[in-house]
Amino acid sequence: MGDLSQASVAAFELLLSGDTDIWEIISLSFGVSFSAILIATPIALVIAFFLAFFQFPLRRTLIALFNTFMSVPAVIIGLTLYLVLSRSGPLGDLKLLFTAQAMVIGQIMLSFPLLVAMAHAAFQAADRRAWETAITLGAKPWRAFFTLMYEVRFGLIAAVVAGFGRVVAEIGCSMMVGGNILHATRNIPTAIALETSKGEFAQGIALGIVLLVLSLTLNAGVSIFQGKGESHS
Amino acid sequence: MNPLISYSDISITMSGKLIFSIDKLEVPAHQCTLLTGRNGSGKTTLFKIMAGLLKPDTTKIHYQGLDMTWSQGKPYIQKDIIYLHQQPYLFDASVTDNIAYGLHRSGENKASIHKKVMQALEWADLSHLAHRSAKQLSGGEKQRVALTRARILSPRLLLLDEPTASMDTQAKQQTGLLLQRLKFEGISIMISSHETHTVEHLADQHWQLEQGQLNVLKKSPVTDNVTHLNAAKQKN
Repeated sequence: MGDLSQASVAAFELLLSGDTDIWEIISLSFGVSFSAILIATPIALVIAFFLAFFQFPLRRTLIALFNTFMSVPAVIIGLTLYLVLSRSGPLGDLKLLFTAQAMVIGQIMLSFPLLVAMAHAAFQAADRRAWETAITLGAKPWRAFFTLMYEVRFGLIAAVVAGFGRVVAEIGCSMMVGGNILHATRNIPTAIALETSKGEFAQGIALGIVLLVLSLTLNAGVSIFQGKGESHS
Repeated sequence: MNPLISYSDISITMSGKLIFSIDKLEVPAHQCTLLTGRNGSGKTTLFKIMAGLLKPDTTKIHYQGLDMTWSQGKPYIQKDIIYLHQQPYLFDASVTDNIAYGLHRSGENKASIHKKVMQALEWADLSHLAHRSAKQLSGGEKQRVALTRARILSPRLLLLDEPTASMDTQAKQQTGLLLQRLKFEGISIMISSHETHTVEHLADQHWQLEQGQLNVLKKSPVTDNVTHLNAAKQKN
């Protein structure tokens, strides 16, 4: 118990002292996850909109696929991506394995089904009159799409926040395709795993605090936005 | 008098069921047409097809001297025909922003849009609601804001789906007055309604959509030479 409290105090000291290694890990973690969400979100929103508003062959199959892929474990995505990016893999020539870019790709794959499924649910719940009204008032389809996004913004923000929460805390994929290399691909979850295995609890706890605060904040954010969405509809 | 727009061979099937098949539908210009029919007869579907919001199985459009398919005509009819839902949808914004929505398509500057919106609010006696959130309005106020939002775009045809449904007497009167003024301004109007008594006085002609066919119950003296007969009747 004494060790734990000592480690916790040391963890706070590390965070507050501006320890370069710690803050570099935090910054890489956020950078990778923000990039992944930034790239995945626009495509996911367009797909979700089409799935919710238009009828086309295989639509139901696609919805089922996205819902199913939400539950694929991060480590399986990591393994698949590792095989694709490894030297003997089909994209081995790109030399992306054990880079931050590979981690971004992995996190895009991880967040994409969740973003599509949650955004689809938000668009599905949208009032179809909003789309028809925008079109009948002369809006071009892209403007009507942005209008509709604004009308269901709380559901969409909740989707993005949930997507970010999913990727920023995952370890399996980042460990496999990033390799947990200091100053290059070490992010919060992989660093926690490493420091704990070395018995360096202070750094592990410090990063754990950041991740915990972030996760709680994100979950609270999702609840607030979903609640706002419900009260608006 | 030349019709504003003509649709021919309009048919649509939903879930394997033929909703209607109309041989010819000619909308008289500058007049008000009342469309009645029981629930599920396809009035809303017909309006959405006419407004370019719903693709029919078949139809041909004659508009502004051009013969077009529905897809070819869509950009033209979406520009000139506005459809209002039974309960109009107002965006999650202020009344002013709602009324200004359609004006942004014309690329007008902000000052000009603002001026037009203020004039439109005054026209509809809605100036006191200018900065209210549209979501907080009553049903009657929403309908009047929606009519004003449509009018500001100078449409050639307004398709109104049950515009006075579930309104109190005062709101019905106010909406009826706005409709009268829109008609007076020369905008062609089609109204679908169950409550015929509230809008009948506006109507120059009365059509009925029944069992998938369009019947004329009352013809305007001006448009007596215009036929609105259903396919079966014409073929027989």
